[in-house]
Amino acid sequence: MKQFIKSKQLKIILIILVIIAGIVMIAVKGFNFDLKYQDTQRVELYLQTEFNISDIKEITDDVFGSQKVMIQKVEVFEDSVSITTTSISDEQKSNLITKINEKYGTELTAEDTQVENIAHTRGRDIIKPYIIPFIVAVVATLVYLGIRYYKLNLVKVVAKSIGILLLTQILLFCIMAITRIPIGRLTIPMVLLVYLVTLYAMTNRFENNLNKKEIEEEKEKAKKK
Amino acid sequence: MKKIKIITMIVLIILVTMVSFFGVYTQVQNRMENQVRDYALDMDLGGARYIRLSVNTESTDVIKDANGNEVETDEEMTDEQLAQNGYTKESVPNNSAESLTVENYEKAKEIISKRLEGQVVGEYEISLDNETGDILVQIPENEYTDNFVSNINTVGKFEMIDSETKEVLMDNGDIRSVNLMYGASSSTSTSTTVYLNIEFNKTGSEKLENISNTYVEATEDTNTTENTNTTDNTTNTETENVTDNTSTDENTTANTTSGETNSTEEETTAKEITLRIDDTDIMTTSFDEPIGNGRLQLSIGSATTDADTLQDNLTQASAMATVLDSGNLPIQYDIATNEYIYSDITSTHIMYVAIAVGIILLIGLIIYIIRYRVNGLLSAIAFIGLISLYLLVIRYTNVSVSIQGIVGIIVTILLNYIFINKILSKIKKSEDSKKLETVKEAIKESYKEFFIKLVPICISIIAFCFISWTTISSFGMVMFWGVALIALYNYLITATMLKVKAEK
Repeated sequence: MKQFIKSKQLKIILIILVIIAGIVMIAVKGFNFDLKYQDTQRVELYLQTEFNISDIKEITDDVFGSQKVMIQKVEVFEDSVSITTTSISDEQKSNLITKINEKYGTELTAEDTQVENIAHTRGRDIIKPYIIPFIVAVVATLVYLGIRYYKLNLVKVVAKSIGILLLTQILLFCIMAITRIPIGRLTIPMVLLVYLVTLYAMTNRFENNLNKKEIEEEKEKAKKK
Repeated sequence: MKKIKIITMIVLIILVTMVSFFGVYTQVQNRMENQVRDYALDMDLGGARYIRLSVNTESTDVIKDANGNEVETDEEMTDEQLAQNGYTKESVPNNSAESLTVENYEKAKEIISKRLEGQVVGEYEISLDNETGDILVQIPENEYTDNFVSNINTVGKFEMIDSETKEVLMDNGDIRSVNLMYGASSSTSTSTTVYLNIEFNKTGSEKLENISNTYVEATEDTNTTENTNTTDNTTNTETENVTDNTSTDENTTANTTSGETNSTEEETTAKEITLRIDDTDIMTTSFDEPIGNGRLQLSIGSATTDADTLQDNLTQASAMATVLDSGNLPIQYDIATNEYIYSDITSTHIMYVAIAVGIILLIGLIIYIIRYRVNGLLSAIAFIGLISLYLLVIRYTNVSVSIQGIVGIIVTILLNYIFINKILSKIKKSEDSKKLETVKEAIKESYKEFFIKLVPICISIIAFCFISWTTISSFGMVMFWGVALIALYNYLITATMLKVKAEK
């Protein structure tokens, strides 16, 4: 029993530490946004022929070094490439064009190639479409949990459910902030995954508690008889 | 008999697996084509239409009279003609310097978002460059994309003006909401008319009532020898206050009354209003009765029984309704870029994920076989069949697969693993695991225990299914079919195989 309490305390301390570290990290450095949602610069190059992304990747690795780069094919003929990165200097641009010309025999010039600025997508714009669906799903689920496990104390069940669901999501974002996992296309899938796992684990716990309570009640009834 | 049953099931599973993973190929014009439907991919996986809206920097020539009032004229005037009339020509920027503010850029972004939502674009990304005002929109590529693009930078300026004096009587500020209506053009007709229903706010309703009183159609009788009786088409007894775009300009409709030798002609002398959207005249009409309900219904196109024409009218009206309902853009934008860009997540990336999941699953299935022997082997075979069937169901139910959808597939596989493990472990734990009754009882108990715990997840995924945002509905739909298959497939195949094996 003592060991159980100790391990529970340890868990609570660990959770608190992760949350504090996460909050500090968010306050100091903010979240690490994926390239897709950052302020970026983009060039589009007409290669006149179909190409392999891996070949372009070799060139961009050479030109941009450790900078994050997103390479995409453009239009149905797939003979143009869109290269997006955090920033493109004039030197990098001319270097990139020289290497592309060498590889594909094109006659592209730095003067004719425009670098396009792409503004970042705001975090709230990314989250906005998911708020209502989550509220609807959570409310409907809480109603069910309240009805199904009313024997375990309705208020307690609902409060506990809200608390656990919130806590796990906060923990997820804190861990993302600490580990610098980028906020991007994988964030919502991760949120959904954590939500479902939490829901399953929580229901499992409630179900076990309900079973225990029902067994106890039956035992008491038997005793009274 | 027992062996035949199991072998038949295994053959069926192999068949479904072959179809799902390798496809069914037939010869189409000297090439082999897979007849199994492909996955519908969302924007993150299938690419997007990339639209860059840049602030219009052009100017328009405006002719002004001696008093500085704008003169509207369709004809091109030479400098001499301008001088003769005392007019001057000024070059006015389409976007005034004062209008180019961050607030207006933000407002424009909000309006464009509203338009996309109004036209039920299932998924979009929008970003704003606060310095230049450029707006970048990414929407999914499908048959409706061009239609969305055509409306995206429409200013949406609504005006009701006096046809003669050009005085603006009503504008966007008077509109509360705009929506789409359609119905039979008359009680006896089978043709359908599409209407644009403009609801005005309190001030707008009052203005509309005054206008409909002022611009009411007046008629005067004149003797004529012709056997015709002209009436105004704006009167519509079926639909209140409906004005028809196709004929109100003519303002007269031939209505022959036979058997009369002498008749009268009613000449309309109405004051007319013109409805304008983005400075383009939509219609000119007058009112036959005052409108007190603050609603104006305009028919779009003509009444039709043709499905394609009706669809065109609906699309046109829907676009107009969305543009007017979302408000007018404070800044005029040009489409600087409009191109389809593939996703940076290629089929190779998806293949890597599939291989990783496959390897983990294979290890899991080997664990089944080691722990539960024959039952484990049969369940492993059935498991592969479930995944194959699941992937076919996703393709044929038109579920749009997103990254969230892929996560949904992985979660479903995980849930099925837990469920099968529950059944197998219950069978193993029972005293006589080879008894049919024991197997039946284990399956029944596992179903009860597992699905009761799954109810909250089911509630959430059903809620997600009804959301219009593609990525979340994709997750909901994928999970919905997954859970449904876990329940049905395992009952029909896995449980049957285990029962057959347990039979004496």
